[in-house]
Amino acid sequence: MLSGLHPLPKLLVCLAWIAASIVVFDLGFQLMTIALSSAALIVLERRSPLFVLLVMVPFALFGFGFLTTSILFRQESDFAVRMAAEQAFSSPAVSAGLVLFARAVACGMVSAVFGLTTDPGALVKALMIHWRLPPQIGFALFAAIQLVPDLGREAQQIRLARAMREGRLPRRIPGPAEAASLVVPLLAYAIRRAGRSAMAMEARGLSRNAPRTFLSAPRIGRGDWIFVLAATALLASCLTLIG
Amino acid sequence: MTGAHACWDEVRVRYPYAARDAVGPVSLGLAPGERLLLLGPSDSGKSTLLQTLTGLIPQSVPAAVSGSVTLNGVSVAAHPPSHWARTVSQLFQDAEQTLCGLSVEDEIAFALENEARPAADIGRRVAAAMASVGLPDNWRSRRISTLSGGERQMVALAATLAADAPIFVADEPTASLAPAVAARMIALLLGGDRLRTVLVVDHRLDGMIRHVDRVVVLDRDGAVLVQGPPGPVFRDHGDRLEDLGIWTPLVSRFDRALMRAGLAAPRPPAGNDDLISWLDGLRGADRHRAFRAVEPIARDALPAVNLRRGGPVARLEQACCAPLFGPVVLSGISLAVCSGEVLGILGANGAGKSTLGGSLAGLLRLRGGRRHGPAGGMAFQNPENQFTQASVRDEVRRASADDSARAVAEALEDWGLGEVAGRHPFELSQGQKRRLALATLTVSDRWPLLVLDEPTSGLDAASTRTVARHIRRLAAAGRALAVITHDLDFALKVCDRAAVLQAGAVSADAEPVQIFHQAGLLADAGLRAPEVLPMLDWVEGKRHRAGTDRC
Repeated sequence: MLSGLHPLPKLLVCLAWIAASIVVFDLGFQLMTIALSSAALIVLERRSPLFVLLVMVPFALFGFGFLTTSILFRQESDFAVRMAAEQAFSSPAVSAGLVLFARAVACGMVSAVFGLTTDPGALVKALMIHWRLPPQIGFALFAAIQLVPDLGREAQQIRLARAMREGRLPRRIPGPAEAASLVVPLLAYAIRRAGRSAMAMEARGLSRNAPRTFLSAPRIGRGDWIFVLAATALLASCLTLIG
Repeated sequence: MTGAHACWDEVRVRYPYAARDAVGPVSLGLAPGERLLLLGPSDSGKSTLLQTLTGLIPQSVPAAVSGSVTLNGVSVAAHPPSHWARTVSQLFQDAEQTLCGLSVEDEIAFALENEARPAADIGRRVAAAMASVGLPDNWRSRRISTLSGGERQMVALAATLAADAPIFVADEPTASLAPAVAARMIALLLGGDRLRTVLVVDHRLDGMIRHVDRVVVLDRDGAVLVQGPPGPVFRDHGDRLEDLGIWTPLVSRFDRALMRAGLAAPRPPAGNDDLISWLDGLRGADRHRAFRAVEPIARDALPAVNLRRGGPVARLEQACCAPLFGPVVLSGISLAVCSGEVLGILGANGAGKSTLGGSLAGLLRLRGGRRHGPAGGMAFQNPENQFTQASVRDEVRRASADDSARAVAEALEDWGLGEVAGRHPFELSQGQKRRLALATLTVSDRWPLLVLDEPTSGLDAASTRTVARHIRRLAAAGRALAVITHDLDFALKVCDRAAVLQAGAVSADAEPVQIFHQAGLLADAGLRAPEVLPMLDWVEGKRHRAGTDRC
């Protein structure tokens, strides 16, 4: 359901929610945000709970850094400690750490909801149409999105070639030296590819400031307005709930 | 769409820091509705010349350009390259790498959107272009990144056709395509009405020359060597072009051989069917002389019998093959390559040929089954992936079994790389890079099995002959080789055996001649019989009849 929404209202809602998560230093609000984001993915997008938990892992790892920093170096996070003094935990440092941890996860999950339910092509198109993103930049972003899987394939070919020369099978994960040695050829490939794409776009009539049509452009419909109103109301309710 | 014409007048192009011109002096006109084929050896500046047509060179790619290029009488320098998109549609070399839309529809509509056409008109044109190229309508929303290289090439063609510009320029449009798709692309480019002016650079000439009005040949320095209708150009100058390493149609080789035997057809034949009809019309001594003239060329299309064929070097047993970190693309593969044998791996784009090659070489872990035999070496599709040294000479020296200066110099000369020995491998042309990659593999005696992935892609005729010679030399020395190729004439010439991949399995494993006579098998696998096959059959038939007559 969320995938069918226009990217820009969805982006605004997600940004508003992230802003609220940053400003409101309250564990309850962060937990509500995490729960709602997870529920949106599980219920509306039919993602499995395990998948949602896995999505949380990198944000949790990031947030864990805040938690440990807060506990070990409480003088450095004095503001957070004072803010967290009213929380339900016995130690203000633990409370502050937990809120910071939950905030990292909450912001990450809201971003994940947007990222997992938004077609990058539709987003870039919408930005070009409604927010005047120059087409040169928009299509450069398209080309970059195309480049990522090709770059991966190229890296694998290079690793195969290197492994062949060294008389071994390619390692599942490249070591630091191998990874470093991939940088120059991949950079050369990316630069050359970018140059060719730019040339092809120009040869096909892409120019600065010229009017252009956008086929299959996403349109803002009634569903988008309902989503914005519902999400805003939900955000307001959560904020009211925590007082 | 109205007629348009292009004109190059004494054009020379020199890239920054280059010691010589990349192309020129070239004076060339392109008449409305004309179909022109541009030929030349590797590095003769064909692609450079095409890119001057809309001012991409020098406006987007820095270079010094002298002389003038005009489109419909207007200097191309008067406007930015994007202005000329309505006049010239360009299909670039390696077009699949220049796609910029995320979906098939985005890609095909791109040029039309830039013209700010109404959305409904764009929708109609996209649908028409997809239908003409044979892309299913449900591919509209398909992501480009999910397409194979050949499919991307067809999308690029559809995008170029949809633009419907009066001049169509295509740079090696069939280079990476399987034969059946390549034939369809040539038909789309050059068949049908003559409302469009077409300029094409390609080396798959046999299916093309009957559609072409004029051939222009550039020499090694990028100057016009000869031009005219294809028949007379190849009949009168074919030998000279071959000496320069330039591709000539196979039918013209037979025609020239017949000329030398004093048996020229009244008009140069446009294809093997024309030639065979004419040969069948000959009687008595003339027919015998014709047989004598064409037989060596037909025989030259087959590999020499190798008496040093031995046991299996590498063997796959019920193997499930998958690319690195990718899904299984081939299952239940049982295949062996013997010492002294050249195995051809054939199939449509995306059939899993490279994956099978990597599995045979032992570079890819099998997801099932077993592999027996020592590890092999592989020449990858993108030759750059193999380079690790700072100079061409160092690349060869590092790989060579004998790293003495003399041996390295000999290897470099043998592969035509002597002049660029001191240059960085990444600075070479595509053809030179491929030759270097093959040189580094073949100078080493480290691998008893060599897998060559599209070894002739981007090579001119001379370099292709060199590759064929080295493959047969290595096989004669007892090395096992697997050659992945779309060029079935090349496969016929170098391979002792061929495996055809189709629907994730090996659908045929036999001598190439046997496989190439099975029209149904070839059609199902997206292949087409080699160009030389009808003449080979004619020669065999003649020999058989002669034998019967003697009995």
